[in-house]
Amino acid sequence: MEQTVTHNTKWWSGGKSPFNIEYGKIMMWYFLLSDSFTFGAFLISLGTVRFGLNYWPEPSIVFNTFPFAGHANLPLAFVSVMTFVLIISSVTMVLAVHAGHNRDRKGVEKYLLLTIIGGLIFLSCQAWEWTHLLTAKNPVLVGDHIEVMAQRNGFNPWGEIVLPQDVAPALAKTSPETLATLVHEQHLSHASHAELLQTPKDQLIQLLSNSEMVVRKPGPAAFGGFFYGITGFHGFHVSVGVILLIIMLIQTKMGVYDRRGHYLMIEKIGLYWHFVDLVWVFVFLCFYLV
Amino acid sequence: MSDTLHIQHGVASHGHSGEPHVHHHKETFISKYIFSMDHKMIAKQFLVTGIIWAIIGGLFSVLFRLQLGFPDQSFPILETFFGRWAEGGKIKPEFYYALTTMHGTVLIFFVLTAGLSGTFANLLIPLQVGARDMASPFMNMLSYWMFFAASIVMLSSLFTQTGPAAGGWTVYPPLSALGLASQGSKSGMDLWIIAMTLFVASQLLGGLNYISTILNMRTKGMSMTRLPLTIWALLFTAILGVLSFPVLLSGLVLLMFDRHLGTSFYLSDIFVAGQALPNEGGSAILYQHLFWFLGHPEVYIIIMPTMGLASEILAINSRKPIFGYMAMIASLMAICVLAFLVWAHHMFVTGMNPFLGSVFVLLTLLIAIPSAIKVFNWITTIWRGNIRFTPGMLFAIGFVSIFISGGLTGIFLGNSTIDIHLHDTMFVIAHFHIVMGVSAFFGMFAGIYHWFPKMFGRYMNNTLGYIHFWVTIVCAYLIFWPMHYQGFAGMPRRYLDKSSWVSFGQFHSLDAMITVVTIIVFAVQLMFVFNYFYSMYKGRRVRTQNPWEATTLEWTTPIHPGHGNWDGEIPEVHRWAYDYGKDGRDFIPQTEPVGENESSH
Amino acid sequence: MSQHYDPTKDISPSAAYPEVSFAHHTDDATFKHRVKKTTLILTLLTIAELALGFTIYALHKGEPSHAALLLIKGVVCILTLAKAYYIVSVFMHLGDEIRNFIMTIVVPLLLFIWFIIAFLADGHSYKTMRNQYDRYFKESTTPSGHPVIPSDVHKFSSQKGQRQ
Repeated sequence: MEQTVTHNTKWWSGGKSPFNIEYGKIMMWYFLLSDSFTFGAFLISLGTVRFGLNYWPEPSIVFNTFPFAGHANLPLAFVSVMTFVLIISSVTMVLAVHAGHNRDRKGVEKYLLLTIIGGLIFLSCQAWEWTHLLTAKNPVLVGDHIEVMAQRNGFNPWGEIVLPQDVAPALAKTSPETLATLVHEQHLSHASHAELLQTPKDQLIQLLSNSEMVVRKPGPAAFGGFFYGITGFHGFHVSVGVILLIIMLIQTKMGVYDRRGHYLMIEKIGLYWHFVDLVWVFVFLCFYLV
Repeated sequence: MSDTLHIQHGVASHGHSGEPHVHHHKETFISKYIFSMDHKMIAKQFLVTGIIWAIIGGLFSVLFRLQLGFPDQSFPILETFFGRWAEGGKIKPEFYYALTTMHGTVLIFFVLTAGLSGTFANLLIPLQVGARDMASPFMNMLSYWMFFAASIVMLSSLFTQTGPAAGGWTVYPPLSALGLASQGSKSGMDLWIIAMTLFVASQLLGGLNYISTILNMRTKGMSMTRLPLTIWALLFTAILGVLSFPVLLSGLVLLMFDRHLGTSFYLSDIFVAGQALPNEGGSAILYQHLFWFLGHPEVYIIIMPTMGLASEILAINSRKPIFGYMAMIASLMAICVLAFLVWAHHMFVTGMNPFLGSVFVLLTLLIAIPSAIKVFNWITTIWRGNIRFTPGMLFAIGFVSIFISGGLTGIFLGNSTIDIHLHDTMFVIAHFHIVMGVSAFFGMFAGIYHWFPKMFGRYMNNTLGYIHFWVTIVCAYLIFWPMHYQGFAGMPRRYLDKSSWVSFGQFHSLDAMITVVTIIVFAVQLMFVFNYFYSMYKGRRVRTQNPWEATTLEWTTPIHPGHGNWDGEIPEVHRWAYDYGKDGRDFIPQTEPVGENESSH
Repeated sequence: MSQHYDPTKDISPSAAYPEVSFAHHTDDATFKHRVKKTTLILTLLTIAELALGFTIYALHKGEPSHAALLLIKGVVCILTLAKAYYIVSVFMHLGDEIRNFIMTIVVPLLLFIWFIIAFLADGHSYKTMRNQYDRYFKESTTPSGHPVIPSDVHKFSSQKGQRQ
C-alpha cells in the first residue's frame, strides 16, 4: 500500500495512470459501461411496452415448471436455481482472479474450470427453459374455439383467464384433435393420445369441463419477443464468456501468463463475467420478479 | 525514422501488454499503409474513406436537388447512368427516397462521425497529449477496419435489385420494419442495419481507445487543464459515442427481429394492402425514443470535434490565448450532459405525451447557454487579435458564423409550440444542415487545412483554399437561407413533387436557384479534393518543424514523424496550450519550463 | 525508468505497466472472509427477493390492492440494486479503485434515471391515450378484474399427482 501514497497527489498531472490501472482494464470497464446501455435499452424498452399495455402476464404463471417435476406448479423455483448457479460461478471467478494475483497457477486452473462448469450449467438451464416454453401445450381461447399454443416470439398464451361459463361454448367449437391433446396433456384419462382421437367428442368435452383446466385468452405478443430477445442476448454474452474462459484456461495451462509475469488477462475476463452475472440480476428482476 | 517501428516503453508509452518488441522492424507496404497500427496512418485512412463517402453523399444531394429544382424537366443522362431508376430522365419516387436516405446516412455517420472524429481523434490525441500511440493500437486498427466493413456493406446496398434503404436516415418503423411497405424496406434495409451494427462496433473500439488514451497516457506534466481544447472536445465526443451508440444498437436489433422473426416490438394495428398483420402490442414511438437517444447525442458527436478544432485554430491564428479556457471546458461538459437529456425534442408531434414534451423543451433550451458561451468565447478570442488569414483560419471563422446562424433557428424548433408549425418543413432542413452539416464541414475543412502539414509534411494550395472558402460560404447561405422562408410558408420536406400546391408555385425559381448553387458548390468541393490529393504529392514542402508557430506538442515532433512520434524522449509539459502573446513573446511552447519572472495567466 | 522494456529481465506487472503501482493485494484471510460474506449477502438478498415474488404470487389469487403490489415491487427493485452494488463493489473490485475512477463509472450511470423516467412515462401516456381514443383497444385488453391466478391451482396440481 505504500506505493499508492506517492500517487495521492495530482492524479491528473500526466505521466502516470491517474486511476492506477493499466489501460486494458480501463477499456474493459468502459466497454462494460457501454454494454450496460445496450442491456439497459432492451430492458427499458420492455418496460415502455409493458407500461403501454393494460395487461401483462404475471411471471409466476409463466415460469412455474421445473425439470423432471412434470406439471407440478413450482413458480420461480427453476429460475432461482439458475440465478444461484450464476452467483456461484461469479464467486469462483473472484477466486480465480485472486489466485492470479498470487500467481498461483493451479488455483487459477481449478477456479476457472469451476467457473466454466457454472456457465455451462446456466446455459443448459436456459436451453431447457426455452425448449419447455416453446413446446408447451397451453389451452388458449382463439376467436370462438380453443387451441393448443406454445409461447412464441409472436404469440403469448398467457392472457386473461377465460371464465368457466365462456369455456363451455368454446369447447363445443374446438376440433376433436385439440380436445384429445388437451385431455392427454391434462392427464384426465389413462388412454393414449391415439385412443383419445377415437373417443367421441362429447366424452372429451365432458372430461375437460369437469376438470380444473385453466383456459386463457392470448396475451400481449410483445412478451415473447422481449423474453427470447433479452434472455437470448444475455445467453449470447454468457456463451462468449464461456468461450473466453476456455481460452484463458488453455493459455494458463500452457503457461502463457506465467511467462508474461502477470494474470491481468484473467482479471479483465473476470470483469466481463461478473458483468454478465450483473445483467442477469436485472433480467431476473424485470422478467421473473416484477 | 519513417520506415522503422520504434516504440519506447517509458512512462507514457505502453501500447502492448508486455509482449517482446522488435525495436528496428522493417515495415512492409501492407503493415505501413494498409493494416497499419500507427495512429497517424489510421487517421489518414479514416480521412480518405470519409472523402470518398462525402463525394458519394454529396452527389446524391445534387441528384435529388435536380428533381426539386426542375421537377418538370427530364435529364436523359440520368437514364444513361441509373437505368430504370430514372426512366425517361425523370427520377422515380423510390429513387428519390433512396437518394435522400442515403445522403443523410452517409454524411451523418460515415463522413461527419467516422470521417471527422475518426480522423482528428486518431491524429491529434496521441500527438497532443504526448503519447507514442493509442492505448491499444491493435483495437485502433480494428476500429478502422470495422468502419471499412460497414462501408462495404452500405455501399453494396446501393447495388441491390430493390435499392438501398429508403425510409429516411432515421429508418422509422413501421415503414422500415415491413418489407411489404416499400421497395426500400426490402434487402437494402437489412444491409443498412448490418452496416450500422458494424459501424457501432467501430465507434466503440475507437471511442474506448480515445478515452483511455486521453485519461491514462498523457505525458509528464500534461494535466487535464493543460490539454488543448481539441482534446477536451474529442474526449467528450468519445464519451457521447460510447454511451449512446449501444442504445441505437439495441433499437436496431429489435428492428431486425421485427423484420424477420415475427416479433412486435414496434408494430401494432397495421394493415398492408387491406390485410391486417398479426403484430400486436408494439409501439412505433418506442423506436423513435431509442433512435433519438442516440440520434441527439449524435449531432453533438458531429459538432463537438469541430468546436475543439476551431478553438485551437482561432487561438493560434489570432495569436491570442483562447478566451475563457475553463468556461470552454465547462460548456463542452454541459453540452455533453444535456445531449443525453433532450432526445425527445425530435418527437414533439409523434403523439408523445405533451407534458413530457414541455420538460424536453426546457432541457433543450438550456443547451443554448453553453453554446452561447462558446460562441462568445470564440469571438472574444479573435477580438483585437493579430489575425493570420490562413485558409484554416477562414474556415474556422466561417464555422463560428454558420454555427450562430444555424443555432439561432434551433431555438425556434426547440419550442414545441412553434415546432408544431415548423415540423417536417424545409425550415428543419435549413436548421440542421446549417448548424451541424455545413458548420461541421467548415470545422473539418479548417482542421484539414491546418493539420495537413503535420499529416503529409506539405502545405495545401492557398489560392485554391481561398476560392474554396469564399465560394462555399456564399453558396451555403444561398442554399439554406431561402429554405427558412419555404419552411415558414409550410413547404414540407421529403416531398418529391410539390407542383400540386398552387401556393408553393412562388418558390419555383427559388428552388431552381438552390439547385444551381448546389451544383456549383459540389464542383468546388471536388476542387478541394483535387487540392488535397495534389498537395499530398506536389504541395509546397514544410521546412520548419512548427510552421504555424503553435504551442502544442504535435509541432515538437519531426516534420515526418515515424511510428512512435518522437525520436528521443517524450517531451515534458510545463504550461497550458495557449501561451500566445505573453510577456512580449509571440508564443511559448508547452514544453518550455515556466520562467522565474513570468506572469501567470 | 528503462526505455526499452525487456520481458526476459523483469517479468513483474509493474515493469509492463510502469505507470501503475498495483496496490490491490490483500492478504488471503481477509479476502476469503470478504468473499464469503458477500456470497452470503447475495444469497440472502436473492432469497428475500424470491420470498417477495411468492408474496406477489399469493396476492394475485385474491384481488390485491394496487398500492400493495407497487410497494412490494419497489422493495424488490431496491434489493436488486443492493445486489448489483455488492457484485460491482466487491466482486468486480470497483470499491477498491481510486475514487475518481469510481466516479467515471457511476456518474454516467446516472443517465439511466432520466432514461427510465422518460421512457416509462411515455409508455404510460401511450396507454392512457389509447384507452381514451381507441375503444377497441380498451375493451379487448382491459382485464375484467378477476384474479390473475386461479386460487385452486394447488388443488389442481395435487389432483394431477394422484392421477399420475
